Amino acid sequence: MSPTRVCVGAISGAFGVRGEVRLKSFCATPEDIAAYGPLFSEDGTASYTVKLTAQVKNGFAAEIEGITSKEAADALRGLRLYADRDRMPALSDDEYYHADLIGIEVRDTGGTLLGHVKAVQDYGAGDMLEVTPAAGGATILLPFTHEAVPTVDIGAGRIVADPPEGLFG
Amino acid sequence: MSRSVWKGPFVDSYVLKKAEKSRESGRNEVIKIWSRRSTILPQFVGLTFGVYNGQKHITVAVSEDMIGQKFGEYAPTRTYYGHAADKKAKRK
Repeated sequence: MSPTRVCVGAISGAFGVRGEVRLKSFCATPEDIAAYGPLFSEDGTASYTVKLTAQVKNGFAAEIEGITSKEAADALRGLRLYADRDRMPALSDDEYYHADLIGIEVRDTGGTLLGHVKAVQDYGAGDMLEVTPAAGGATILLPFTHEAVPTVDIGAGRIVADPPEGLFG
Repeated sequence: MSRSVWKGPFVDSYVLKKAEKSRESGRNEVIKIWSRRSTILPQFVGLTFGVYNGQKHITVAVSEDMIGQKFGEYAPTRTYYGHAADKKAKRK
């Protein structure tokens, strides 16, 4: 159920005149973007091998295999880069990638659909799942704890929640 | 200048009453509060508050290391949705 590819960065333009690009990384550790290569375009038709050459303001300067001129680098401006989900390292128990959690359905202990995970937020009080309610309306923040979320089944695309009273109306 | 120690921590009285009522009932419920300025006290540990951020109530499960902070610190008034990429969440 987890996505096959995850957006890990974007190209924001050319860097210099020798075909290098300015690369924005969305990774938790920005340098990791190079380790997830080869990277793909959104539709998966083109692949890019990225080598970071320097750290610059708001990102990295990088060489992309096959890109040797400023014109070619400029043509890639705005391109979002996707990495294979399988390239990301396995996590320990009770650790999940945001990309795996986003979009999966949230059901209560009786099996009733409560909504879908829209995002994972951390405002300092621990991770919370932002859930779009099935009934509509404003999003709800569900604490990502064993008490409130006893079961996470990424394979089945489902979370079983036991939310505190009053959270889902 | 910091608050005088002799005054003790500031907490809106209705927050104390609501927390006490919830603890006595023993129910696992979200205590909706609008007081972002109230200090988190030791007796709030284990309770779940819904702290108003001007738009909706943000769920805050109070733990020991939050004591002494203000509720408002855990309910930001602006939301930023970044990219998920390889970010991780840990279930506590």
